[in-house]
Amino acid sequence: MSTAALTMAGDVLAAILEHCRRELPNEACGILGGRAGRVESVHPVQSAHPSPSRFAMEPTAQFLAMDEVSRAGRELVGIYHSHPGGPAVPSTTDLQEACWPGTTLPNYPEAIQVIVSLLERAAPVVRGYAADRGMFVEVPIIIDER
Amino acid sequence: MPVTVRIPTPLQRFSGGKLNVSCSATSIEGLLEALEMAHPGMKERLTVGGKVRPFINIYVNGEDIRTLDAEASVLKDGDTVAIIAAIAGGHG
Repeated sequence: MSTAALTMAGDVLAAILEHCRRELPNEACGILGGRAGRVESVHPVQSAHPSPSRFAMEPTAQFLAMDEVSRAGRELVGIYHSHPGGPAVPSTTDLQEACWPGTTLPNYPEAIQVIVSLLERAAPVVRGYAADRGMFVEVPIIIDER
Repeated sequence: MPVTVRIPTPLQRFSGGKLNVSCSATSIEGLLEALEMAHPGMKERLTVGGKVRPFINIYVNGEDIRTLDAEASVLKDGDTVAIIAAIAGGHG
């Protein structure tokens, strides 16, 4: 299972939010590289079928982003996406897609799922969740300035 | 021909917890059989009707097999194969 919290610097959070705003009105998605629950790099990934209510990472772009994380000596610590018109809580679709079909096993148990709500465009809400036995459990996202 | 295969986390329970396993195969089809022989239960998680499941992407040295020859894609000694689960979701 992933770590119990995800920590990132303010400029890392700003990069995630900037990407999510750039993709409006569609959902944005990407992966986060780092170590021991701390985000060190943000990797926006294009969606194969841009939509305001769904995302699916373009497979090769996803592979290249994951490879980039690995080559930098980092680990996958988070997966982020936006909900342009919904709250920062996982949807049924989010949960279904996060698990191996027919199981409650998360595809990426090491990664915190970060959801950015842009319901209030000027005041985005960011929350993190760990996949655990077919459920998402909220975990803190800690912003620091290290 | 030994190739190195990266196993996705949910299937590592079939590979004894290993992230990378070594297999001998000359094609992706053969590799799926070899994985099943060495790690029973793996193939049915990866395929349906003999085809790789849609949410799974397989790369040979970084090339998506769907841009090569799909399940018939050829493997050679020393190739690296990555099995990656797609990432998707959304507000719905």
